[in-house]
Amino acid sequence: MAQAAAIGGALEERGASRGGGLARRRARIAFLLCLPLIVLVLALVIYPAFYSLHLATLNKSMTRFVGLANFAFLFKRETFWMVVEQSVIFAVGAVVFKALIGFVLAHLVHRLPQRGQRAWRGMLLVPWVIPPAMSTLVWWWMYEPSYSALNWLLAGMGFAPVAWLGDPYWARFAVILVNVWYGAPFFMIMYLAALKSVPAELYESAEIDGANAWQKLIYVTLPMLRNIIAITVLFSLIVTFANFDIVRILTAGGPRDMTHVFATWAFKLGIESNDIPLGACVSLFMFPILGFAAVFILRDVHRRSRELAGVAA
Amino acid sequence: MSRPEMAAPGAEKAATGDLRRQRRWALWSAYACLGLFCVFFLAPPIYALVTSLKTSQEIAALEGNPWLVRDPTLANYAALLGSSTFLRFFWNSAKVAVIVVAVTMVIATLAAFSLARMRFFGSTALATGVFLTYLIPETLLFIPLFQIFTWLRDLTGIEFINRWWILCIVYPTLTVPFCTWILIGYFSSIPKELDEAAIVDGASTLQLLLKVFLPVALPGLIAATIFAFTVSWAQFLYPLAFTTSLDQLVLPVGIVTNLIKGDVFNWGQIMAGALLTAAPPVLLYAFLMDYYIAGLTAGATKG
Amino acid sequence: MTKWHLSRRSLLLGASGVAVAGAMLGRPRGAYAAGKLSVGFWDHWVPGANDTLTRLCREWAAKEKIDLTIDYIPSQGNKLLLTIAAEAQARSGHDILAMNTWLPGSHAERLEPVDDVMKDVLAKNGPTNPVVEYLGKPDGHWRAVPATPGSQMKGPASRIDLLEEHAGIDILAMYPPDGPATPAAEQWTWDALLAAAEKCHKAGFPFGIGLGTTSDNVDTWGSLFHAFGARLVDEKGNIVVKSDATRAALEFAKKLAAFLPGDAIAWDDGSNNRWLISGKGALIFNPPSAWAVAKRDAPQVAEKVWHHPAPTGPKGRFGPYLPYYWAIWSFSPNKSAAKSLLAHLSTREAAEQLVAASQGYDIPGYLSFNDFKTWNEEGPPRGTLRHYPPTKDQILSIAAAPAPHKIAEQIYNQATITKMIARIVQGGDSIDKAIAWAESELEGFMRG
Repeated sequence: MAQAAAIGGALEERGASRGGGLARRRARIAFLLCLPLIVLVLALVIYPAFYSLHLATLNKSMTRFVGLANFAFLFKRETFWMVVEQSVIFAVGAVVFKALIGFVLAHLVHRLPQRGQRAWRGMLLVPWVIPPAMSTLVWWWMYEPSYSALNWLLAGMGFAPVAWLGDPYWARFAVILVNVWYGAPFFMIMYLAALKSVPAELYESAEIDGANAWQKLIYVTLPMLRNIIAITVLFSLIVTFANFDIVRILTAGGPRDMTHVFATWAFKLGIESNDIPLGACVSLFMFPILGFAAVFILRDVHRRSRELAGVAA
Repeated sequence: MSRPEMAAPGAEKAATGDLRRQRRWALWSAYACLGLFCVFFLAPPIYALVTSLKTSQEIAALEGNPWLVRDPTLANYAALLGSSTFLRFFWNSAKVAVIVVAVTMVIATLAAFSLARMRFFGSTALATGVFLTYLIPETLLFIPLFQIFTWLRDLTGIEFINRWWILCIVYPTLTVPFCTWILIGYFSSIPKELDEAAIVDGASTLQLLLKVFLPVALPGLIAATIFAFTVSWAQFLYPLAFTTSLDQLVLPVGIVTNLIKGDVFNWGQIMAGALLTAAPPVLLYAFLMDYYIAGLTAGATKG
Repeated sequence: MTKWHLSRRSLLLGASGVAVAGAMLGRPRGAYAAGKLSVGFWDHWVPGANDTLTRLCREWAAKEKIDLTIDYIPSQGNKLLLTIAAEAQARSGHDILAMNTWLPGSHAERLEPVDDVMKDVLAKNGPTNPVVEYLGKPDGHWRAVPATPGSQMKGPASRIDLLEEHAGIDILAMYPPDGPATPAAEQWTWDALLAAAEKCHKAGFPFGIGLGTTSDNVDTWGSLFHAFGARLVDEKGNIVVKSDATRAALEFAKKLAAFLPGDAIAWDDGSNNRWLISGKGALIFNPPSAWAVAKRDAPQVAEKVWHHPAPTGPKGRFGPYLPYYWAIWSFSPNKSAAKSLLAHLSTREAAEQLVAASQGYDIPGYLSFNDFKTWNEEGPPRGTLRHYPPTKDQILSIAAAPAPHKIAEQIYNQATITKMIARIVQGGDSIDKAIAWAESELEGFMRG
């Protein structure tokens, strides 16, 4: 019986035309295989998310339903809009640089002779491998006002010391820098993997057509990497948008709240100031912004893969 | 894996000295550029290493080059490796990572196999939507999760909070979606003729998965395993929220909360701890990097 | 339950005793059955300080036959805060948790009132200082028992040599090692501090007063605001920030900030410690932790550090005091045992041992406990902690007081005071604009 189902599973088009019973059984097995995943996501992500939605509609002491009053309150706060703006600057800024640096590095490494590649790859991947809570502490110690090792280097080069975390604009830069440092290797490795899967024939034929390096990049590499770039950017955008550790450890949102992002501000309000509903509201606000980006990107990816599949067929 | 080299011999064949010089120049500039990035990428770990070799007096002193060590000492490492609490953190982290990887791989492999090769109502939506679970951040989830675990405790009589293994339950929400996605891509890249041949030979669904898919998909599985391990090893917020007692803590949280007391920092040991924490994943990558890239190559591009 | 089986001890211990009785019958009754108590204390930074607390608790547990588990929870990484928030939501966890400053008030409705314990304790120990009462008795009931470990003063820790050399201030003449403050201490005013700050800044040893959002920063500027009579919100919850007193305090803060380190705005609770230890600064506001670390890492700095009260201002000398408490969750299954333990830890003997174990860092909230000899003995320099515990001429205070709790907590945690100053100093706001900003923030804090 299982065999029959397996045949159905493997030869799905033919199976589907052969009869409803077989298709249904196959679908049931398919569903059962996905069940652990579905249960996991429902129980530990979707349900708690809806619970948070419920929390967000309560008053501060969580005794009374107040509907959307918390959101209405937030929209009137100057700080809230500042946090929205900063989160966007932080996430978009960090992701753009991560993607650029990752792309450049992947290209450079890809062109190296095979023998040397391993060592370079290994060294360049180090930032992504260290737990960020630990590496951020190291960065913090390099930024530290009294002992800054970075300022020591700057002084050696004849520059004035920089208030890395004291000046709001430097602090934003510092926070983004650490995020780029941490995330760029991931982009590199994803792009490198993708570069390796681009068929060499495509470049050869481009070369025969007289394409230069730049044209090969634009007309061969980028279209072939489009999907992976989109997915990596989306993944990173989501993770960066929700980032907590880096900002929390480096600046805790200061100076003057000018480096707060959604997660740190939600923590400040919800946990430190004991207003869990308001904190939940702030966290929830990430969802529509990212959801919009996600649907947009995923639809594009989906269409692209179908086009590619169509070409292949 | 031999493809990247093809460009180089091609250049050799062109054989005009000019072109060769150009190639060499390009290679050297690539090295220079990579070198610069390596400096940027490796500066923090190197600074951590330097600091971890200093005594706390030397760290507190302001004079001299902070990037050099005057009286190197291994005292910070000795203090950590000689402390049963630190070893306990290490052991907890290892247990959590291994279990999380195992759980993740089972869930992700089953789901990816189903989503890559079979169809059911909503399977396409699930394949796309599983990625969207990352949209819901941990900062939003941990308070409700507390309520869930309290409810479970009242139901079962088993205490979940402040037990290290609670992390094995919550971490998969962070690892499974990405791993499933990688594996869907990898499984899709396996030619369908392979399953057809197996089925003609009379293999069941389970046999098909175990005997045909898993061996062929090994690079993809390794890539997913490494990803799950890295994520589980690095987590901070969940263990901070869910575990309290010293003997239940995992590494990053244990280090941050035990080497920093109020406004008193023990920098030498923090740095040593950071490097020791980074060691297992670094070793893992050093040995399995090629598989990782090969796994991602097929897995990521077809997703 | 099985009433006829209650022994004398189980009467005393209530629920736990019933469980003990149950256990004797050979019928275990769930997790807490055998007279269990689980405690989460604040993890003290002084090496060995936890051991004394553990010993005191074990003595009690052995006497009362309670199965006691103790966790030491650090405040770092917001571990303690997260644990409290999580247990409050889950309504389960430890029976007793350490809570500092505003937490007993913010969790008041989830905490077991301890008026009965406090009645006995206060009868024995005498009254607490006003800050302990304001924060520990937020709604007319004591919601937590004042704890010795962690409770601290945050007056200045000054460099004797640098103040003398660059600002001409002889701090030892005001606060001598062997006796109480001399009349010369009356010259120790905020204006004197400002003048000294300017001179030390010129000499290259700026005062290390942070303008960040963490508690050290908030406490220091809160003490300045009190000294000028500047309040943000009054007892009744009216916003009163727009006042001449606030303007005067901000004027003063603006002047002082000009002489502080360039990145003071980013300082956290550890920055001022490092500033002192590095030898770069002539004065910080901090409990003796900075000095204690300097003893280890920079002894030449440590032996020149003197702890003494905050300067006085138009409205008096306000010493910042930050108390810790032990609180019992209302969902604790073993409240009577918890109360018994807290009473045991609140005796003079216990407090004296804890203070000694903390090397003088901890300051119990009971006024009659401010005469322990530890403070006179610690050094070098000998007597540096002589003037660390509250003195008669100081009014102990906490920033944001006397506002109602839920509002004051927000003012403190969101660092409204230091942010106002930062807006003026760094953001270029006028004083009136900063006050207007604070008003709108305060309105936001009023939400119920």
